[in-house]
Amino acid sequence: MKIDSFLKDVGGASRVTKARRMSYKNASAIPQPKDPIRELADLLHPDKMRFVVTEVRDASPTSKTFRLESVDGHIPVFQCGQYVNFNLKIGESVLNRPYSISSAPFEARGEKPFIEVTIRRNRPYFVPDYFFENVTEGTLLDGSMPFGTFYYEPLRDSKNVVALAGGSGITPFVSMAKEIAAGYLDTDLTILYGSVHHSDIVCGDELARAAAACPRVRVVNVMSDDPEWEGEKGFVTKEIIEKYSGEDPTYMFCGPLPMYNFVSKVLGELGVPVRRFRKDVLGQPADISALPGYPAESVGKTYQITVVRGVREDVIPASASEPVAVALERAGIPVDAHCRGGECGFCRSQLLSGEIFVNPVGDGRRAMDREMGWFHACSSYPLTDLKIKIPIL
Amino acid sequence: MNFYKDHYDVIIMGAGLAGLSCALQLQSRGIKDILILEKHNLPGGLATSYVRNGIEIEATLHEMMSIGTKEDRLKVGAFFDDMGVDIDWLPVPEAYRFLQTTDGIDITLHAGYRRMADEIDAQFPGWGDKVYEFMLLMRRVYDSMNILSVTPMSKPEMLLKHPDFVKTVGYSAEQVMSTFEFPDEIEQILTPYWIYVGNPMNTLPFTIYAFLMADYFCGSYVAHGLSHEMSMKLEKKAEENGAQIEFRQEVEKILVHNGRVTGVRTKRGDEIACDYVVSAAYPNKVYTQMIEPLSEVPEGAIKAVNARNLSVCPVSVMMVLDGSPEELGISDYNIFSGDTMDTTEIWDNYHTAGPYTYLTSICLNLANPDCTPEGMCQFSITALPLVDSFLDVKEEDYPALKRKLAAEMIANYEKNTGINIHDHIVEIEVETPITVAHYVGAWKGSIYGYAHCMDDHAVARLQMKAEDHFIKGLEFAGAHGMSGNGMGPAVTNGRAAAKGILEAEAAKNKKTPASVIKNLIGGAGK
Repeated sequence: MKIDSFLKDVGGASRVTKARRMSYKNASAIPQPKDPIRELADLLHPDKMRFVVTEVRDASPTSKTFRLESVDGHIPVFQCGQYVNFNLKIGESVLNRPYSISSAPFEARGEKPFIEVTIRRNRPYFVPDYFFENVTEGTLLDGSMPFGTFYYEPLRDSKNVVALAGGSGITPFVSMAKEIAAGYLDTDLTILYGSVHHSDIVCGDELARAAAACPRVRVVNVMSDDPEWEGEKGFVTKEIIEKYSGEDPTYMFCGPLPMYNFVSKVLGELGVPVRRFRKDVLGQPADISALPGYPAESVGKTYQITVVRGVREDVIPASASEPVAVALERAGIPVDAHCRGGECGFCRSQLLSGEIFVNPVGDGRRAMDREMGWFHACSSYPLTDLKIKIPIL
Repeated sequence: MNFYKDHYDVIIMGAGLAGLSCALQLQSRGIKDILILEKHNLPGGLATSYVRNGIEIEATLHEMMSIGTKEDRLKVGAFFDDMGVDIDWLPVPEAYRFLQTTDGIDITLHAGYRRMADEIDAQFPGWGDKVYEFMLLMRRVYDSMNILSVTPMSKPEMLLKHPDFVKTVGYSAEQVMSTFEFPDEIEQILTPYWIYVGNPMNTLPFTIYAFLMADYFCGSYVAHGLSHEMSMKLEKKAEENGAQIEFRQEVEKILVHNGRVTGVRTKRGDEIACDYVVSAAYPNKVYTQMIEPLSEVPEGAIKAVNARNLSVCPVSVMMVLDGSPEELGISDYNIFSGDTMDTTEIWDNYHTAGPYTYLTSICLNLANPDCTPEGMCQFSITALPLVDSFLDVKEEDYPALKRKLAAEMIANYEKNTGINIHDHIVEIEVETPITVAHYVGAWKGSIYGYAHCMDDHAVARLQMKAEDHFIKGLEFAGAHGMSGNGMGPAVTNGRAAAKGILEAEAAKNKKTPASVIKNLIGGAGK
């Protein structure tokens, strides 16, 4: 082997070492601690945010919109359909709740940046009660954002979006309608919005304003039980979907599980390809024992969970009908659940012993996690006493 | 309310492949009192995956090198075997297809030095033997490098036993390749992998290029359970061996007193004492932000990090497509494509914010058919630019920049190959240096550590090992380690960090009989 002269060839190691020493010698001795990439990443995903409520208004007889500004003035860029995750302390419980942002992204970029969430309380319910009864102008709320992958993606989605919404599932589409109407999002949007009665329509005025301001936004309200209603009646059926769909639409669904099951069946019959059907996270059902595969003998049982954090162990009670995350929250042990539908994996935890039932809807575990005993606490239910390991928060 | 013991022998920051391999190596030599702190909520660092609508998507791994067959293990494969870490390896079907559209070069090369030489010979008759000779030279350099990185040797002995290694150290990949006088097309065909260690070929040390080529053309692998399988199985083994592993714990400060590590403080505020710290954080961050107090950082450490250049970072478009590879006309696991193989020109292009022209595509199903439901496939397109053009990106502009880069890369890939991608996208995520910084916290979103170049040569790094050590009890394990970037080298870097600790412990216990010390450090990096 000969590259140059023998001497030059065999002197390579000395030469490269000398070159490296020289570059060290000639380098600046001034520390360069700035990392603009991490700074940008932290701006896009702040670890913790503190919000102040600046306005509360009715969004329907049973729902309210809460406007929030960030205490430090910065709201990270987000996409219509993403959510904010609140860290709440209600009584002895510490808990998280995700809410889709119902305001438009452009409203978080102006002089007085803000976001809004719209919460419905059509029956007494733990967290909505808290918001309705305790959160007023001036209330401080901790949380973080943005999260979620339910948003319009121009690289994939059609410029003809058909939104299928039920109940409070309208909120991501309110954000979208406003962003389109303001000219910041380049797509047409037809919203097929199913409610029981016209008094149940959430954010009806804002939707109507967006539709009036911009021909690209169209809102079709469908009432299932409202004799006076003059528009579309019944459920959001195959006929209604076909009637309003237009050419090559991307369907985006946000609503309750029964409506999802119905809609996905209909879209299957219509031959809609997988890539043209997006759905938001489906939360946990009110009654997990109704799901196929849930063992009937567990109904009504309570168990103990030994919770390992570092070298510390705590023993807490748990109901078989509630996810492990709820047992932790009731015991005041923080768990970083976000989506609460099993998908996002923030509450990934280790099962050291015992058995769990995992809600198969939205099971977002990785294959090896499933195989090696890891689970998502928000969508897993104890079937025996458990020993689990979770992050120290 | 304490979650930690008062003291650990070793705290490892980062449960990536390097940190986990470091733990296993230490445990196998009797050091068991280990705490591993990981920023994210799962192990692996970059060796990871994520789930979209029920489909688990590989986040980073293209090919795992240094594994070898069950019968004939290479370094990393042998280490996993020795540690009792059993990975379900699947062979990658070909090394690469190379498509260079300007000169109309289109060739597919497979593993096996003779086989790939024959494949080149089939298109360029008469050149196969010379290509084979070139591959054997690179293999000799590879074998020498593996021996010399752990076995010190006098210069005359080295020249006698490893002549080709010694004689090529001082030259670039381009200089050594040019002595073979290959036709331009063959030089191009032998170049595509350069970007996995890039600098351009005229400043890339031949030693590192040879190491890469010799290894890849032995064949490479992916794990059946994606790279998350590697991470999970390493983690499980480290835990079984007694390590305490805590997720969601980012170390904010490394505490130093009188030139010696005394512990760490986490972002959460826990202060934990230890004798050794192994850092996955880049030296740049450690020496400019993390050491407490900063007055403990010697000037030499600052000069060292300022002297070195970061290697490339990723822009990767990861997709799930709504057809099987056959239905979509994707026949190759890995395609390098572009309109030029002039690495200097590509390097210039990689200093911009796109459109990127030199692209790597991976269709994972062709190695791992179970990685999606039937009738779909997992497909990614990657460019590896420098971080420069991302340094001034404004928050408001970031989502649009990501989409612009992805749209351009998809369009360029379609132009190069004639395959329609954009009408088949079910899921799509775009990874950038900002993504890397967010999830693993790596300095400036780096994935490949420091650039391999003639004044930061792997051999010089080895010679200057002692000079690169600035604080007692502090070791580094990650892509910034001596062996450089990639998942295989990450394992080697982790083991090297363990070796540093074992040697320091052995020196401390000077009264220990030599045979025990030998047993303690022997084989710590075979």
